[in-house]
Amino acid sequence: MSRRRVVITGLGVFCGAGATVPEFTSSLLDGRSGIAPLDLFDVSAFPSHIGCQVKGYDPQAHFDRNTVRKLSRADQFATIAAREALKDSSVTGQYSPYDIGVSMGAGAAGMFQAEQWLKAEHSGQKASPDLLRGILPDSTTTVLARTFGLAGYQGTVTTACSSSATAIGWGADLVATGRQKAVLVGGSDALSLLTFAGFNSLKVVDPAPCSPFSLGRQGLSLGEGAACMVLEAEEDAVARGAKIYGAVLGYALAGEAHHMTAPEPSGVTAARVMREALQLAGAEPARVGWVNAHGTGTPLNDVVESNAMKLVFGDHVANVPLISTKAMTGHCLGAAGVIEALATVIALNHRVIPQTLNFRGRDPECELDYCHNGSRPSECDMAMSNSFAFGGNITSLVLAR
Amino acid sequence: MTIPMHDIVITGFSTITAAGAGLEPILELIRSGRDALTPVPAEHGSGRWGKALGFKATDHIPPLKTRKLDRCSQFAVAATGLALKDAGITRDTLPAERIGIALGCGFGGVANSAEFLTGYFADGADGASPMLFPNTVSNASASNASIEYGLKGPNVTQVQRFCSTESALMMACRFIAEGRADIMVTGGVDDLTPLMLSGFAATGQLRRYAEHFGEGCGLLVLESAEHAAKRGATVKGRIDDIRTVGLLLPGREPEGIDHLLGGCGIPDVISLSGTARVVPEFEERIHGIPSLDTGCVTGHSLAMGGVAMAVLLASLLPGQFGLHLAASPEGPYFAIRFSGGASVQP
Repeated sequence: MSRRRVVITGLGVFCGAGATVPEFTSSLLDGRSGIAPLDLFDVSAFPSHIGCQVKGYDPQAHFDRNTVRKLSRADQFATIAAREALKDSSVTGQYSPYDIGVSMGAGAAGMFQAEQWLKAEHSGQKASPDLLRGILPDSTTTVLARTFGLAGYQGTVTTACSSSATAIGWGADLVATGRQKAVLVGGSDALSLLTFAGFNSLKVVDPAPCSPFSLGRQGLSLGEGAACMVLEAEEDAVARGAKIYGAVLGYALAGEAHHMTAPEPSGVTAARVMREALQLAGAEPARVGWVNAHGTGTPLNDVVESNAMKLVFGDHVANVPLISTKAMTGHCLGAAGVIEALATVIALNHRVIPQTLNFRGRDPECELDYCHNGSRPSECDMAMSNSFAFGGNITSLVLAR
Repeated sequence: MTIPMHDIVITGFSTITAAGAGLEPILELIRSGRDALTPVPAEHGSGRWGKALGFKATDHIPPLKTRKLDRCSQFAVAATGLALKDAGITRDTLPAERIGIALGCGFGGVANSAEFLTGYFADGADGASPMLFPNTVSNASASNASIEYGLKGPNVTQVQRFCSTESALMMACRFIAEGRADIMVTGGVDDLTPLMLSGFAATGQLRRYAEHFGEGCGLLVLESAEHAAKRGATVKGRIDDIRTVGLLLPGREPEGIDHLLGGCGIPDVISLSGTARVVPEFEERIHGIPSLDTGCVTGHSLAMGGVAMAVLLASLLPGQFGLHLAASPEGPYFAIRFSGGASVQP
């Protein structure tokens, strides 16, 4: 089966670092983090009181009252981001609706609402069953397909923090092989007590804004939001005169088969996934200008990812900056992969390598170039984006402008 | 959307359900017109469910490991071991990087999430257990199975309503076709708890689609015909075609059905999963054809399609055409064509 080049013709985002693509772009280029004190729920019991929340969110500014009642916070975020991406691409109506699919990644999904139902259930109070509507992570895909009348493929990848990166790769494959003319890809996740208390229970949340690859980093900062992209075959996009932001050249995925939460220390599987992604993209490592890291800011992750980089790029590694945009967006879990892919595509288009914010000092175990001192101009046309997850799930994307 | 398959065969099965471990108990219930559903204990509600009461994880997994796994992961780890054994695959005999896993999982992580939150609501931050949190993710089942058996190939979990298994199977087939893996363990797993019944009751689903829900795991071992032949594996069936649409658009249903079933011929046996039995557009197509609905025998759930497909394959005579139809109330819809029988030639 011949493969077609898959291009990105629409972008949308709604997250704590920007409520639209222009806002997000401005944060990315100016090095402005959205991490701040949280007020979505009570966090006083935890060492960390911060995160990258979508602040001042008014659902009724985006939806009618009935829709607000029916959609979880995560599903609302996804709908807003998808609406921006679909409008940007003008893809709707270009193909049969049966030829346009939806491939999303999800994490905690509607847990923010569902945990309110559970709390009420435990205290013997009556809670609205609407709180449970979005509890399952596939809800977002269902909502997007129905809202926008996309009747092709529907699927939701649920591999925790690598979900939406895999959803992009899989959606691109559906287009590359001609099975779909277009696919709306992305991911959405909302902050919840479950994930906030959960990561705190593992003692991997930094009380200060996360500082990936820095000395003294204590862990991640959580975030929330959604991002979407519209993928089409290049020949179709060109034929209809669509704006093309870039291309999804390839992806790879694997399980480390090592441990549910701890990455394999040598980084050998992460390196294998990165190499395989490049191979499937038909690209030599020397073409990669920089890598958008998983880069959570946990002590272990950042060392493992740096090790994997050395295995992939060898002597050339000093010329390939490894940056993390999580210091700007927080770790958006199920949406992290697509938000970071979006940041990568935007940066490639603006010909910059983004800065890794919140530098605290050089860690001798993280000895690569992380762009801690500021963003820098770059004419490179290709970058990678890595996503690691609980369970040892790893996905790597190869993106180009 | 159509995915023609040219050389993907099934070389192993496993099922764990309310009927017990293995296919024979389910086939016997089907033959005798009985089911494995049992009364829901009065303290948890009413009606019947397909609780896998006979499942004892320690029959399959060392006790110390069992303690670390949520029930969904226990099903998946046990069933993966049985499926690999059925396919004649033993650890370290094949490259770990070439064996992957793709599971559908509808409710994975829900039970642990509820238990974790219950601890937090009762005792604050001190009650939030770091032991429970890792298995609150939906991919815990597939990942725990990959860790237990050292499967280092492609690893993915999918959930999409009642078609979660079929979504995962589609990815698994593609990974083999692309050469990303030689062997994929695929199928679906779900657990069922009293709290879930409370949720179904609250949302009105107990009277609609969640009546007679069940739990368990159904897995298939897939590989290319060439790979199966090279290692001398017994071929138990072949996947000929996977088709799917996300929605049947009002006024354009025939177009959607044509995407799913156009030119697919008359099957010898049909398997129905999810809400396929009540899709009006399917009814006229399947009338008069022998059909299997394992959900009525061992309980429905979002990812019970693996049980249904394994039973379909075990029911097909050599060379017969089996059609697996899966549907969800809000979409998607799947039609998967199988050729059956141990005599299928690669």
